[in-house]
Amino acid sequence: MVGSDISYLIGRVSLKDRKAFAVLYEKSASKLFGICLRILRDRSEAEEALQDVYVKIWQRADRYVESETNPMAWLAAIARNQAIDLVRARRPVASDIDAAYDIADPLMTPEEAVVLRSEGRRIDGCMETLEPDRALAVRRAYIEGLSYEELAEIHGVPLNTMRTWLRRSLLKLRECMSR
Amino acid sequence: MTAPDKEMRDPRRDEVIAGEYVLGVLSAEDRRNVEARLAKDRQFAAMVNRWEENLSTFNDDYEALQPPPRAYSAIEQRILGAAPPDAAFSGKVAGGFWNSLALWRSLALASLVTSIGLALSMSTLLAPRPMSGGRLVADLAGENATINLVARYDEANGALRITPVAAGKEKEKSLELWLVEDGKSPVSLGVLPQTGEGELAVPAVMRGRLVQGAVLAVSVEPFGGSPTGAVTGPVIASGAARFD
Repeated sequence: MVGSDISYLIGRVSLKDRKAFAVLYEKSASKLFGICLRILRDRSEAEEALQDVYVKIWQRADRYVESETNPMAWLAAIARNQAIDLVRARRPVASDIDAAYDIADPLMTPEEAVVLRSEGRRIDGCMETLEPDRALAVRRAYIEGLSYEELAEIHGVPLNTMRTWLRRSLLKLRECMSR
Repeated sequence: MTAPDKEMRDPRRDEVIAGEYVLGVLSAEDRRNVEARLAKDRQFAAMVNRWEENLSTFNDDYEALQPPPRAYSAIEQRILGAAPPDAAFSGKVAGGFWNSLALWRSLALASLVTSIGLALSMSTLLAPRPMSGGRLVADLAGENATINLVARYDEANGALRITPVAAGKEKEKSLELWLVEDGKSPVSLGVLPQTGEGELAVPAVMRGRLVQGAVLAVSVEPFGGSPTGAVTGPVIASGAARFD
């Protein structure tokens, strides 16, 4: 599956080309279904989510900007958002954007920063700069669409600790990726 | 370092929230708040976009799994309501053109009035009294429509030609016709005459490319056509060519 093909198909779908839509579905549905199922952990819910995902792709294809986003990443984001919204509706969690917002200390020492500079922009290299349990929490949050509460429980740490872990990890990743 | 001031843009805090949104750890309520902000804050939207791109490497962890065939039928049913099946050159519509109910509704009254006028003049005025040079023309306009139709009557052979032209003040916009081929950038076939007069002559070099399956699309461009040679305005209609 070549990115530019997918990109072209999305362009055609934005012109409401149904044949292109069928081909796009054929090429991407198994991946997006895998995403829905992993996050929702229920086949019939995943199937329902998949329908919503493709209806959204049909409706929003004109918002895809080729130069800004990798096309598969764009499709995957729609699927992840749909599945995560369903999961959050099913297992509600408290609002926490402003909770324990404690990330004001320096991100890394100059030595760390020097090491990072040679790591390049790859997320994999940057993930290795995180402590293993935090890197795992970041990855798990993304792959399984878990909330802070669920992550805290799985990792056996207090909720606030998990928030701090992920927020600091995000800043470290951002800094690392920007080098 | 000072504590984040909520009234000021705090890039670190925004980066974290954008990242949290993409990771998926936020509550439903916070997700809605983030999305509301995405719609009006481009800088913030760029942060979210960047996280999506950066973290998309993790997508490799998702196993592909074939959904049951009924899933596609259900999707097709749901989008069917939004677009009719292919028809020769009438094609499908982005934002409303040939198949747009709103457009046809808004045009209906104008065209009804105009066609009555035309019918009258043709039957009673034109037939007995040959036109001296001028041609009968009617501009069919609808409120808020992207296009108008120009009807030109050729008294010599009784043909009434209806041509779409860009709506709006004269000399403001043009409709440009494009040929879209698989995997290539759209190529201009020309600008639809704003007067509604004449046809588009397909350039000789392009003729071999106008084949079954080629897509024709119409976009709204600055007057005179796209200044760049590429589509710059909204595509208001498109459709694949086939033999009828």
